[in-house]
Amino acid sequence: MSEVKILDGNTFVVSDDRGDIEASPTDATGLFSFDTRFLSRWVLSLNGERLGALSVDDLQYFETRFFLVPGTGTVYIDAKLSVIRRRTVGGGFQEELTILNHDDEAIALTVRIDAACDFADLFEVKDALKKKGRYSTRAGRRQLVLGYERETFRRETVVTASEAARFDQKGLTFTVKIAPHGSWTTDLDVAVGGGGFEAIRASRGKRKQTMARSLQKWLDEAPRLECDRQPLKATYRRSLVDLAALRFAPPVAGGLSLPAAGLPWFMTMFGRDSIFTSLQALPFAPELAAATLRALGQWQGSRVDDFRDEDPGRILHEMRYGEMTAFEERPHSPYYGCADATPLYVVLLDEYERWTGDRKLVRGLEYEARAALDWIDDYADLQGNGYVWYRRRNEKTGLENQCWKDSWDSISYRDGTLPGFPRATCELQGYAYDAKVRAARLARVVWKDPVLADRLDQEAAELKRRFNRDFWVERGGYFALALDTDGRQVDALASNNGHLLWSGIVDKSKAKSVVRHLLGPRLFSGWGVRTLAEGEGRYNPIGYHVGTVWPFDNSFIAWGLRRYGFKQEAAQVAAGILDAAEFFEGRLPEAFGGYERSVTKYPVQYPTACSPQAWSTGTPLLLLRTMLGLEPRGDDLIVDPALPSGIGHVELLDIPGRWGRRDAFGRGRLDVTARS
Amino acid sequence: MTSKPNTPADPIADFMQGLAARGHAPSLARTTGTVRFEVVDGKRTRRWVVTSEQGEITVSRTGARADVVVRVPRPLCEQLVQGKANPTAAFLRGALVIEGNLALLVLIQRLFPAPAAARTTGRATAKRP
Repeated sequence: MSEVKILDGNTFVVSDDRGDIEASPTDATGLFSFDTRFLSRWVLSLNGERLGALSVDDLQYFETRFFLVPGTGTVYIDAKLSVIRRRTVGGGFQEELTILNHDDEAIALTVRIDAACDFADLFEVKDALKKKGRYSTRAGRRQLVLGYERETFRRETVVTASEAARFDQKGLTFTVKIAPHGSWTTDLDVAVGGGGFEAIRASRGKRKQTMARSLQKWLDEAPRLECDRQPLKATYRRSLVDLAALRFAPPVAGGLSLPAAGLPWFMTMFGRDSIFTSLQALPFAPELAAATLRALGQWQGSRVDDFRDEDPGRILHEMRYGEMTAFEERPHSPYYGCADATPLYVVLLDEYERWTGDRKLVRGLEYEARAALDWIDDYADLQGNGYVWYRRRNEKTGLENQCWKDSWDSISYRDGTLPGFPRATCELQGYAYDAKVRAARLARVVWKDPVLADRLDQEAAELKRRFNRDFWVERGGYFALALDTDGRQVDALASNNGHLLWSGIVDKSKAKSVVRHLLGPRLFSGWGVRTLAEGEGRYNPIGYHVGTVWPFDNSFIAWGLRRYGFKQEAAQVAAGILDAAEFFEGRLPEAFGGYERSVTKYPVQYPTACSPQAWSTGTPLLLLRTMLGLEPRGDDLIVDPALPSGIGHVELLDIPGRWGRRDAFGRGRLDVTARS
Repeated sequence: MTSKPNTPADPIADFMQGLAARGHAPSLARTTGTVRFEVVDGKRTRRWVVTSEQGEITVSRTGARADVVVRVPRPLCEQLVQGKANPTAAFLRGALVIEGNLALLVLIQRLFPAPAAARTTGRATAKRP
């Protein structure tokens, strides 16, 4: 049965195509809010009979309409009545249930909704764990209250209806008479709450009018794309709408919304994902970056806490709000185990200022930026040799790999063996370098601290010099994936080389060789750059971080290629990924198979739970930026287009920034098909 | 509740006095606001009002206006000020009740101590050669 998902912030419903919810302990359907399941059973029947789906109409990301008829057979019978469930998410969900009588005679119906809840934590749904608290059910004259309690932790779901109903322990029943060609309607409300829960959900879920208005406003404020290639327009619109759905207002961002990582299971603050997505979206929706910087800054680590892998100055990895986090059975309150978000935080702060000129925010976050820079030097350098390393201190529930390629086998030598810990992956050094260079600029221009600026510039230059010596695989002509604890190169060839170009840490003399690898047959599939090169010990075209193509990864690689002047190659990567997007109706998946394009003809999707994924959603935006060559310089926006020939004419109108609004024009002239 | 051996007789008062004595907190240099802790001990409620004025910390026992109010049972509050409990997890459990500006509380939380057993890593322990 197909799954239908609708959401508002991190409140969302996953149901079948009839609108019914029948969750098992491990099955991820239901009504969820702040990482807790508030409804695990919600099944509609008429006269004891289940319904069949005619069609599902996704009106908005927060609203769906289900058209149903009695009977669940596969053959459509000329039904005498039909049912419409119109469901809107917001502070739980509201459902307008309408039954239409198409007959010449009146009908009598028993309308039944079964309701129940297991109050599972998202982590329990993933790992099938047992509950430790007590359940309660209270059926009253006007409502059904489902409750769960463990010490002071309370969650409850309250079901009410606008029409008279009989509530019992397992649901509610309506006795209905409908006149010939008449109809009957009731509004059902499923509200979520519990002790202290209101404070967590600081701003109550907005109702649909405001959500619809804010979506329209969001679309209106984004730059307008005009182009010859219609699928690109569709991809662009899809990205904007999905990004709107992925906006998440945590209790501490001053009402601002930052991008969550993915829908629906990752609708929460993620340091890395929120930062990368904000970077991708900067030329289109700079307010996302502002919210990300503010919220992540407020939650910046302030003490040494092994359980949470927290250090002073460290930017968080992931925040969760459910029962297991509350009872410290999981460390996500928040969890800090990632090594890239902290330098990337400084990178985003500088890039944000370059685009918007918002110095007030940069001044306001001076302490946080300095603390992040100190973390790089004082806490991340686990080997005392001037590199960023990672090793978890929470060995039970912490993350082993604290870089974006976070699966167990992602960091390997050429022969496939895995290094021990700590590890210093190459892109982390690039981010640290970029953070220092950018912070030096901010120190000079905004914080008025030339001494700090000089020190950072010096440290950056020193880091670059050492990095190009220690990580460079001489016989291969590329940078090693990591260093191990003996200072030995973890020498597999991987896409991380592209992030190094983006960071600027690569010596100019080495760039050409790196680019030859990125666009060469071992890494470039024709759709994009593979995470790991063909021929490496662990290469697998459908291995999560060992051979698949990640759109997000490629968008930063394209940016890196442009940074070093490889316009043609950047256009080639952009063209491949945007071609792939057309196969997914404009919604790029998290990853797709690393198979050769000429062999499969279409990109093979990697099965993942989350769609849309924030940084895949942001990918077409960053690719537009790189293809048009958009770059802030002082108070001006530089436009230097380098577009693939298949794309035709492209106009991006009303690009916001410190210049007010500017337009960018370009025409596809680069032939990217012949190369590879 | 009687306090355990090796813990100060009144860890909350000690912590608050420590804050007041410290005066300036660089981590709150951009923060201005007032938090009122209402420490519930049986039928008695004791108040601690912590104010940051651009990082200048003052502590008093009275004060009508607060941007955020935290109601917390005394045993939990004692754990918090000794780094034995985590304020965010406690909040998610509903073990303490918060009304008002949550963002301010997240910032003030920076003043709470780290767990005692935590291992420091990197140059923070051993200086780079």
